Amino acid sequence: MKREWILDKNHLSYWLRQLRNQMQLIAPMRDQVGDIVFKQVEHIHKIELNCPSLLPSVKEFFLPQYERLFEYSKKDDRVVDSISKTKRVIFGLRSCDVAALNTLDRFFIDEMPDPYYKSRRENSLLISIVCNNPDPTCFCIGLDTGPYLKQGFDIQLTDLGDRYFVQAESEWAISIIKNYHFLFSRPQKSDYDDQYEVLLSSKARFQKRISLQQSRQLIKSGRIKDSFWQGITSRCFECGGCVYQCPLCTCFTVVDRSYNDTVERARLWDSCLFKGFTRLAGGILPNEERIKRTKRWFFHKLIHYPDVLESFGCVGCGRCTVTCPGRIDMASVCMKLKSIALNGEEITDEG
Amino acid sequence: MDKILTVCPYCGCGCGLYLHVEDDRIVGVSPCINHPVNRGSLCVKGWNCYEFVHHPDRLKFPMIRKRGTLVRATWDEALDLIARRLTEIKRLYGSDSIGLLSSAKCTNEENYLMMKFARAVVGTNNIDHCARLCHSSTVGGLAAAFGSGAMTNSINEIINARVLFVIGSNTTEQHPMIAMHMLDAVDSGATLIVADPRKTQLAEFAHIHLQHRPGSDVALLMGLMNIIVTEGLVDIDFVKRRTENFDSFLDTLRTFDPAKVEAITGVKIQLLRRVARIYAMEKRSMLFYAMGITQHITGVDNVRALANLVMLTGHIGLPMSGINPLRGQNNVQGACDMGALPNVFSGYQTVTDPRARKKFQNTWRKKLNPKPGLTLMEMMDMAYVGRLKALYVMGENPLLSDPDLGHLEKAMERIDFVVVQDIFPNETMNYADVVLPAASFAEKDGTYTNTERRVQLLQRAISPPGEAKADWEIIVDLATRMGYRMHYRGTYEIMEEIALLTPSYGGILHHRLKEGFGLQWPCPTQDHPGTPYLHRKKFAKGLGTFITVDYIPPDEPPDKEYPFLLTTGRIYFHYHTGTMCRRTVVLEREEPECFVEINPEDADSLGIKNGWPVKVTSRRGSIEVKAKLTGKIPQGTVFIPFHYAEAAVNRLTNPAVDPKAKIPEYKVCAVRIEPLYKMPVVKTPKPPEVELESLRIEE
Ligand code: SF4
Ligand code: SF4
Ligand code: SF4
Repeated sequence: MKREWILDKNHLSYWLRQLRNQMQLIAPMRDQVGDIVFKQVEHIHKIELNCPSLLPSVKEFFLPQYERLFEYSKKDDRVVDSISKTKRVIFGLRSCDVAALNTLDRFFIDEMPDPYYKSRRENSLLISIVCNNPDPTCFCIGLDTGPYLKQGFDIQLTDLGDRYFVQAESEWAISIIKNYHFLFSRPQKSDYDDQYEVLLSSKARFQKRISLQQSRQLIKSGRIKDSFWQGITSRCFECGGCVYQCPLCTCFTVVDRSYNDTVERARLWDSCLFKGFTRLAGGILPNEERIKRTKRWFFHKLIHYPDVLESFGCVGCGRCTVTCPGRIDMASVCMKLKSIALNGEEITDEG
Repeated sequence: MDKILTVCPYCGCGCGLYLHVEDDRIVGVSPCINHPVNRGSLCVKGWNCYEFVHHPDRLKFPMIRKRGTLVRATWDEALDLIARRLTEIKRLYGSDSIGLLSSAKCTNEENYLMMKFARAVVGTNNIDHCARLCHSSTVGGLAAAFGSGAMTNSINEIINARVLFVIGSNTTEQHPMIAMHMLDAVDSGATLIVADPRKTQLAEFAHIHLQHRPGSDVALLMGLMNIIVTEGLVDIDFVKRRTENFDSFLDTLRTFDPAKVEAITGVKIQLLRRVARIYAMEKRSMLFYAMGITQHITGVDNVRALANLVMLTGHIGLPMSGINPLRGQNNVQGACDMGALPNVFSGYQTVTDPRARKKFQNTWRKKLNPKPGLTLMEMMDMAYVGRLKALYVMGENPLLSDPDLGHLEKAMERIDFVVVQDIFPNETMNYADVVLPAASFAEKDGTYTNTERRVQLLQRAISPPGEAKADWEIIVDLATRMGYRMHYRGTYEIMEEIALLTPSYGGILHHRLKEGFGLQWPCPTQDHPGTPYLHRKKFAKGLGTFITVDYIPPDEPPDKEYPFLLTTGRIYFHYHTGTMCRRTVVLEREEPECFVEINPEDADSLGIKNGWPVKVTSRRGSIEVKAKLTGKIPQGTVFIPFHYAEAAVNRLTNPAVDPKAKIPEYKVCAVRIEPLYKMPVVKTPKPPEVELESLRIEE
């Protein structure tokens, strides 16, 4: 059930302040060197509302880079679960991230529920903002994961200049808005018109149009030879950045660490682009050749994900474009594939 | 959750990153998007640099050796003991019987204090650090030619360069973020020339790859210069106006005719000509080098040859044109700048210069020793003969990083009193009488200077484990206990003192660094914006000097008994002696075991298969490692990384040193390889001969 309101911009900080009294407030903040980072908000007026440059992903709040799962105390022979129950409101994330979380839910909750992820997810309220100014690296538009969402959000705000067009879907979200009903008003016809205009103009600002469907079909057609992937692979620095930054990558590893009187089990980010990720007992490395791992990453996102989860393993956020030191991110590889499709030739070389 | 901007603790690129902190624990890392070096990327070490900080192995308490074992002590006991023993040794044997090793992993402030401690408190110039083992030839070689031994350009100039000449650097693995800029430049049309005996990842992108023989760099460079001269590609104007001593250099140069060079290096004449022309004719040519140049007995000569090359072509003193030593450790540039070297104070002011000494004496209020001290290798030699009585090691692990470990172990045993100050237990601690726990990069503040001379601020994110303390706090405390009062309210006050005494750091103060991504020295005054490229208009020392060099073959070439040439180095997933990265699950898992890279043809003739254990023996010792067959390494050469204590390649390496810089020859020594396992000879019946064509199924 979707409900809509109008929120005067002047009331936003009051509302956030009220929310912060009940929950931890996370929002994009600009620091002294101009970077935007998501962190706990100290000064509400410093929240970056119109992020013109790339936002980091909020994946880390649901699948942290290093998460203690439980702790075993040697002295009292007891296990303490470290599951996080912190109530959070994450303000200012973007549609692609919300879309990614919805896909992650299917992976982490639907089949075999992961209690740690699930608890973090249940305790977080997402307030996403429609992108009026997409970054040059974004390509969510071809994937229906942005710049705005038709459904699947908690609260979605559209910036209409002096006011926000507010949409809420989940029950928790609606009840939170109702708690502060005096801040919200009924949308008028003109508000709907303005909102539609914002969406249209935002769509027109995308610099990249990438069709993952096309890439998928091209790969499935068998026309892409290994030499193409070899060319891509030779630029990989094996940094793992693409996996770490991608809101839809879920690789992790688990370690036990023994301290003086406790043992802790932790889960931390890993990456399928490392050969050791699939190391078998006896030291055998099935994916020792780098090309296998690169192919795996792209095939997982373009072939396997749609096959099992009915959506691509990419929401077009463009974060790998920024972080990949080898410039072999999803967008540029798909562009290369596209040029193959356009030229209609069998590719034998780098392309 | 808070995110704190700081600097990566691993390599000299000095990438900016955020540490994510929750409840005084680091829970993650993310790259800084606007940082001029990494621009939103990090390499695998940077991405995982948070993990070792909370490792259970961290040293948490001071320890004192009692009846053979290290037992927990209080700070008072430990520091009092050190103060007492050092004072005693100083009284009995003189100040110069004490040696101190500073660290390229510690901040500028800590290195400065360490050198102040050595010179003002202990009274000796016996202070050195691991730059001796990597770039002392650079500091010596470039200082003699230009008056300053650092990277002349900035990393963000690379993208606009037209020619990149990379020699002796495996950049994609050792300085990944610099390699990123190089590949971007190649994408936008730059020509990449790589000179490396191994086929490195960067070499795959090179337009020209020169696979010269290890140790033949001087010959290669002289050959190139010879061609440049004979083909009239010299920038005569530049040579006349800005350099000296060209004529005498020319005499030696003439003896390196291309045919001779081809014979020494194994590189074809045509290739030499192409490289010489491309490099000399394009104006925006950048030259890069690293350990492949410096770690030879001819290290200084190699560097001088490079310096001559850039002066000959006038490729220096402009943006995108210069000579760029890539420094390995995150703060090796800073440690050198701070004078953690036996012959200079901070800012390379020599201890023998009475004026410099007077300046430091006045500020420190202490009479200073005018005699240059011992280098790291010399300290060990003195220890071996029993004349070094005490050694203070801060944040280093000589017992894995130095050549010829067997000799070193004996030397360490003979030292009366050893103090080790570090974040993790290491091999050197086996000889320690006192162990002091230090704070890691996330637990202290200060500054690091990266390879492009950028002084950057480190910010404290969490508190140290147990009773561990920042290195600078320890030194301050110890100095005070030894009767020399040091007092600083914070690292910013130390920086102020550095700025006062060091002209090139004159305007570098913490509050200025906070405003952006640091400042590049020289930055002499408080309103100076920093210097992106060096030697503009004139060299630091006035005229650039051509220094004559000649080719000397490696000290220990392969022979009948030891037929392989061993070269050593680092690998991407690990870092130096592995104290940090081998305590990071992801990194350790990637390469958990030491290996020897060997060409498949060589392996075949020895009967070795991929993954088999082999024994590698040199004149000094032997180790057992796994064989890794790869075409990246030419025949006759083998490569072993030096990160692994259980198979320490430095048991094999040759301690022969460059006569000037005293840098050991890590890159060349002779070894013998034997398989430890022989495939049992099984007689299999020969399969019947089949005409393969006849088996084909027609479609
Ligand atoms: S693959 Fe790249 S563009 Fe796609 S969701 Fe992941 S990080 Fe974003
Ligand atoms: S970000 Fe790029 S270089 Fe790094 S692992 Fe991913 S594909 Fe490779
Ligand atoms: S390139 Fe060097 S400084 Fe940058 S993240 Fe990697 S190890 Fe750290």
